[in-house]
Order: sequence, then C-alpha cells, then structure tokens
Amino acid sequence: MSAAFSLYQSRDSGLHRLNPLTKMTIALSGVATSLIVSGVWGNYLLFLLILVPLSAWGQITYSFLRAVFRVVWPFAISIFLIQGLFWTDGTPVIDLGPLSFKAEGLLFAVISVGRILLLVGSFTLMTMSTRPDALMIALNQRGLPHTLSYVVLSAIQIVPMFQAKANKIVEAQQSRGLETSGNLLKRVRALLPLVEPLLLGSILDIEERAIALEARGFGRRVKPTSLLILKDPVWEKILRWAIVALVLALLAVRIWLW
Amino acid sequence: MVYLKNLTYRYPRGESDVLHDINLTIQEGQFFALIGPNGAGKSTLCYVLTGFVPHFYKGKLSGTVTINGRDVFDTPLPELAGVTGLVFATPFNQISGARFTVREEIAFGLENFALPREEIIDRTEKVMKLFNLTDLAERPPTALSGGQQQRLALASIIVMRPRLLVLDEPTSQLDPVSTHEVFSALDSLINQEHLTVVLVSHKLEWVAAFADRVAILDQGQIAADGPPEEILTSAELTIHGLTPTQFTAVSLMAQRTGLIDSKKALPVTLDQAVQFFK
Repeated sequence: MSAAFSLYQSRDSGLHRLNPLTKMTIALSGVATSLIVSGVWGNYLLFLLILVPLSAWGQITYSFLRAVFRVVWPFAISIFLIQGLFWTDGTPVIDLGPLSFKAEGLLFAVISVGRILLLVGSFTLMTMSTRPDALMIALNQRGLPHTLSYVVLSAIQIVPMFQAKANKIVEAQQSRGLETSGNLLKRVRALLPLVEPLLLGSILDIEERAIALEARGFGRRVKPTSLLILKDPVWEKILRWAIVALVLALLAVRIWLW
Repeated sequence: MVYLKNLTYRYPRGESDVLHDINLTIQEGQFFALIGPNGAGKSTLCYVLTGFVPHFYKGKLSGTVTINGRDVFDTPLPELAGVTGLVFATPFNQISGARFTVREEIAFGLENFALPREEIIDRTEKVMKLFNLTDLAERPPTALSGGQQQRLALASIIVMRPRLLVLDEPTSQLDPVSTHEVFSALDSLINQEHLTVVLVSHKLEWVAAFADRVAILDQGQIAADGPPEEILTSAELTIHGLTPTQFTAVSLMAQRTGLIDSKKALPVTLDQAVQFFK
C-alpha cells in the first residue's frame, strides 16, 4: 500500500511538539516577511538564522534542506537565466557570445530567489514537522468546518491510493495488449482506455466512502471531540502574538522607509 | 428488534423492484444470515436496514421498517448511525481518510458523536483487543493489508456499539484465520452485549457454524427462512443457485452411495459431520 501524500516526518522533538497553530504562524510570517524584506541578503539570512536552526531542533535538517532545494533550484536557474540574460539596459558582467549577463538582472534574481527560498522553507518546515490531522483538528477547534478539513486530509491519504489504482489499470490494460509507450500521439491514445475504468471506479469508490462516513456519524451536527490532545501553553500563545507583532512592525518600517 | 412489513423498493430509474413485499422479524441478539445468488437484492436489503435506503439512495419505496422502535424512514441518517452499523466488502473504501493511525481511525466515529476523550480511549482499546489490532495501533490505516483493513473497518463500527450490525460480505477478502477471528469476535459480542447481527455471506460453512437463522433471498423475495440445519440442507438451496457446505455435500454423497443411513439428518458444520460419520 502507498504511504500518505504528505511530507510529514515523525520525530520526538520540541519542534514537533509545538502546537500546529504556532508552526502555522511561523510559516505564514515567513511568507509575509519574504515579501516585506527588501535587502539583497535579508531573506537568505532569515533562512539560515531561523529556519535552519528550527529544522535542527526538529531533527530534520538534512531532509528539510533537500526538500527545499528540490523545489527552489529549478526556479533559481530559470530566474537567473531569464533575468540575467534578458534584463534590458543593464550593465554586462559576463559575456556569452551575442548575449551577456547583466548586473542588475543578476541582483534582481538574487533577491527573487531569496524570497522563494524563505517562502518555500517556511511551509516545508511546517509540513515536515506537523501532522496534517493535528493541524486540521487545531483549525477545526478555531472554527474551520470539519467537512473542509476532511477534504484536505482525505486528499493527502487517498491520492496515493488512487495513483496505485491507476497503475493497476495501466498494468491490466497493458496485459491485454495496450501500447502505452512510443510517440506523444500513441501515448495520448493509450490514455483513453484508462480514463473510463479509473473515472467510473473512482465514482463508485466515492459513493461507498460516503456511506462509510455516514455510518460513522460524520453527518452529525455536533462539535466533534478529539482523541488527539493538542497542547497550547500560554507561552506559545504569547509567542504567536509576538511573531504577528514583529511582522507588523517590519511592515510598518518598510512602509515608513518607502 | 427489526421489523420489515410489506417492504418493496425500486432504485431510481430502475425497471423492476429490487425488493418485493418482504416481511421479516429479527429478534434481539439473533445472528441472522442472509444468503442468495448475485443480484438477489441482499446489499439493497442491507442499505434498507441501515437507512441508506431511502436517505442516501432515493427511489420508489413502500412498506415499513422499524429498528429498536424507530421508524427507519422517519429517522435522519446521522441519528441512525448509533443504532445500526454497516460494514461492507471493500476494506479500502471504509477507511475514513481523515485519521493517520489505526487507533485514531477507530476513534473517528466516537469523535463525531462528541463522546468524552476518556470514554473514546476506553472503548477504542477494548475494540482493538477484540479484533487483534493492538499491535497495529500506531500504523497508518492505508499501510495495512486488505484483511487488516477489514478488521479495522469492523472495529470502527463495533466501537460505536450499534444495536443492529449489518455485515455485507465482510469476510470476502479475509483468509481463513482472519475470518475465524472475525466470526468469533462477533459471536462473543452477541453473547455479551445482545448485539443483533445481519450477515450477508457466501461462505456457508461459517454461516452454518455461527448463525441462529438463515434466509434465502432471490429476486428480491425471501424464498426460505429457518434454522441453518434446515435451510442449508434443503432443496431450496440448489433451486436458488447456491451450493451446500462441503460437510453437507460429502454426507449427501455418503447417503446416496449407501455408506450412511439415508434417514440420518444431514450435517452443516464440522462437529455435526463428525457425529454423522461416527
């Protein structure tokens, strides 16, 4: 069976024990800060001085860095190439035949990649150290409808199972002589006999799943209780408000300096 | 406990009745098995007994269904969830997808009923023990085998303590050892908690060993109804496209070849077969 479609890495660490709302506040403040900070190296410094130590606290540094760089490097290369080579009226610093890298373009690329790094890093840290169901339960307790959180959570677990089902259908059709390799046209044609069983099968699965959920009282209009205990000590509540205040202060400074 | 009176049902856009004029009474604490060929209407009857017909599947319905004094057609589905429980054949589709460990998956229904955490823990632990799931408590439900997932599906319904448990081929994907575990657990639940069970199964050996009463459903009608020893050895069985248990078949052959007295009652279980051949 396939694993859940989630980046979560189970560890017994202080970061993992933080309330999901605290980690979400850190992630959202990381996103906001990445857009507020205007300096060339500011976002890189925040990544190195806040996110990397937090990942070390969570005992996930290696997998965290690997996941972040996997996402960031394709963006980084394309941004450096496009902004560096096609910056209009810039100062050439490296010549490549008819094209040249412009200093202003490269500077813009450094700033943009820094923003992406902090943004991706903030969310990766949260998803790697927070169980998705814990986050959703925390949000449910703050008023998020549990049907909405169900959609998010079931997608995380059920998408890989649908992928496995799709693979089975491909194998079944291949064993009956369906050609799935070759040029683009052949591959597109091969998709058609796969779509119908997957689509119809999935609709039937969804119907059964809805019945199974109703049989377990999912449709009841009462506020559900939870087996999972989410600790939320006072210091974490203060920390969350402090983070929000800090981001607002940064924003105010940025507007004032503008 | 369960009363069905003149029940007739046709699915939306259906051309004929799937269930036709069914009258049935099931006593509390009874293990009632429903057998019949494919397309007989067994699964539809399961949906009627759990309220999914008419609350989930609409269609043309007449007659009355009462469970534990409640009219199923007038009781909203979320209210029925604690009274009747349904488990069906496909284990994957019964996983909620909203919980990430076996323990939490079992607790999901109790959370929806807003039970206190202490009670959820108590009930969940007991049910995990009953269905031999304690060692798998921290594993993700999606990582279990088909048999383990089916035990989980059963545990997730049993934990809600329904008065009527409806099982639509719950062991079709289980190996013999897991099947035995499931039937034994159900048997002890019936004895300890007077749970009423309606079981749809093609595994007649197990039906014979555990059921108090067996009914044959064919073309939407009850064709025969009585004790397992009577129904599973009757001519009705083969008339409706079913094959007798191996114990009955061997014994019948022994009688036909003159090996055993033809007046002796045919066995349906292993113990009865041993006595038959003694």
